[in-house]
Amino acid sequence: MSKLKAIGVKIGVAASAFVVGIALPGNASAASCGLKIGAIGPLSGPAAEWGLAMVAAAEMAAAEANNKGGLQVGDQKCRVDVVSYDSKYSAEGAAAGANNLASQGIKFIFGPVGAPEMTGIKPVAMRNQILVFGDSYAKNAIGPQWPLVFHLGPGPNVWGPPIIEEAKRRWKIDTVSIIAPNDQGGTDIADVDQQDYEKQGVKVRLEYYQRGTTDFSPIITRVLSSHPDAVDTASSPPGDAGVIVKQLRQAGFQGPIGRLGGPGTDEIERIVGGIEILKNFYWYESTPTDDPNVRELSVLFTKETGKPVPQGTSFWQWVPEARLLLAAISKAGTITNPAKVAEALRTLPVQDPNLGQGLWTGKKFFGINQEISFPFGIGIIVDGKIQNVITHPAAEN
Amino acid sequence: MDSFIQAGIIGITLGAQYALLALGFTLIFGILGVINFAHGGFYVLGGYFAYAAVSDAGMPYPIAVLLAVIGTGVLGWLFEVLLVERCVDDHLATMMLTLGLYLVISNAMLIVFGPQSPHFTFPLSGTFRAGAVYVTAANLVVLAVCFVAIGALYILIYRTGLGRALRALADDRGVATAMGMRPRVLFPLAFGVATALAGLTGAIITPILSLSPNVGDPVLVSSFIVVILGGLGSIGGATVAAFIVGIIESYSSVYLGGSAGALVLFVIVLLLLVFRPFGLFGREIRRA
Repeated sequence: MSKLKAIGVKIGVAASAFVVGIALPGNASAASCGLKIGAIGPLSGPAAEWGLAMVAAAEMAAAEANNKGGLQVGDQKCRVDVVSYDSKYSAEGAAAGANNLASQGIKFIFGPVGAPEMTGIKPVAMRNQILVFGDSYAKNAIGPQWPLVFHLGPGPNVWGPPIIEEAKRRWKIDTVSIIAPNDQGGTDIADVDQQDYEKQGVKVRLEYYQRGTTDFSPIITRVLSSHPDAVDTASSPPGDAGVIVKQLRQAGFQGPIGRLGGPGTDEIERIVGGIEILKNFYWYESTPTDDPNVRELSVLFTKETGKPVPQGTSFWQWVPEARLLLAAISKAGTITNPAKVAEALRTLPVQDPNLGQGLWTGKKFFGINQEISFPFGIGIIVDGKIQNVITHPAAEN
Repeated sequence: MDSFIQAGIIGITLGAQYALLALGFTLIFGILGVINFAHGGFYVLGGYFAYAAVSDAGMPYPIAVLLAVIGTGVLGWLFEVLLVERCVDDHLATMMLTLGLYLVISNAMLIVFGPQSPHFTFPLSGTFRAGAVYVTAANLVVLAVCFVAIGALYILIYRTGLGRALRALADDRGVATAMGMRPRVLFPLAFGVATALAGLTGAIITPILSLSPNVGDPVLVSSFIVVILGGLGSIGGATVAAFIVGIIESYSSVYLGGSAGALVLFVIVLLLLVFRPFGLFGREIRRA
């Protein structure tokens, strides 16, 4: 009976909220136009942690705007909605998603998160004149030939060297084996990682695996036969990296394990079975995760959206870019002209209340200054104990 | 030399995994003539059944595995009775139906448990070593379970009245039905046994590797390769093919690298099929 009563109360509250929502003039009903932002990324599979973080960031920026009565675009207040699509971390998935969103008339896409997806999405975006704000460490993630494609965060050529320097300072690393998937999401990053290591005198051996591999034992055996001082899982998705690390430790590998290819340490730790098994580990954190201002974003997310914050740390990196995209739409005063929004975006300062001062970069590496760079972090675990994340200032690419 | 021995051990453990995966798949094809695209889904279900029993209900792992076997078996039986039975002779319909079921299962797991891998590890963490050669306790358990499952299935199919009835139905349903065999009872039973095997595989392999709603995709591919190589419907063929695939994959990956290893496996399987289009034990299709 008490359960029935509770259900009755909930229905009553929901009905009241609905009636109040209709009656109040200042809320969603105030929005006189609708703006749909697409969010494409891996929402399932081994890279899901990254995609979910990206969608959550888009939802948070949308909620921030909607909770203020809508996004100011010209003389209108626009309600912002996020339409997400699971690309399954593949080029074809991302292209299908972009086509799907284009057919809905969506002109702005947030994401994707990986190199194969970025490759798949760009031609569709060009054809349909869609502005894309994605992430990828591919060597051709952005470029002058794709003026509507913007980029979140520099790749390993920027943050790899200080992380390797820090790892070398803590452990003896003269040789390293890099393990990565054998598609663009792996090869582009592993190649740059290799250069980063070699510049610091570390001998590198590259090992690629077929994406979709579930048991890495043969590759681990091959890697360990060369007796490396360290093994780096590069840009292997967190789900794959977790199995690789687990099987490395089962095989008796005692050395440090690196990860110059993206965050995801929480998931890796869950798969491995504990931080004590990770033992000695170093990785790239996309933001300084120990910074209280950065962590505050999680509290804000729940406050704005009413949802629990997604797992992982990459969410914190995506929020400033989502805010920036909406700010550019607002400044351009249009929801139908991505070229005008891109123009406005290039002129906006990179300054976020949570991540602080950043900069526009990318000219040197990609030939176009359409990349955002914020301070990033260096994560370290020593003998099964997590160390404070080291903050590194925003850097040029 | 250590690498050579290690590659052999890994090949056998991979073969055991593949054999477990392929047994249920080939059983359904052999008896019902249905290609079960939902096989990977029942593998995923088995993993999540065991995970939920251990982490949410606090059950001991062996009980959790048993629950996974029963749970996936019952669901498979129900699925056959309620849906597959209605179009069991229509290959296209059963393919669509089982593919649809796989999507339903993986999306249901996505909604209930979320897309990320949970903390689900095998309860035995030991590793046996002799120099640079090693084998994990978990893989030894998988190997033992694999041989028990193969033995049990062999006895069920070739040494019991039920097995004889199932083989009779597979051989000639019309005659077998006239002789009193009841496909409406026996087909769901065979389907349930096969999905229980998939559930068992998921329950013991996902804590060794990783568990997430999409881990059934590669499972389906591996099962397909193994049963095609072994000869669709042949239990013995699937078992032998599983170990051949495991060993080829291991040696080619260790000596040629991860990318080349996967390629070599497909090339060898293709070549074998050129010379034996019905698979290594193709003749058994009619018998199993």
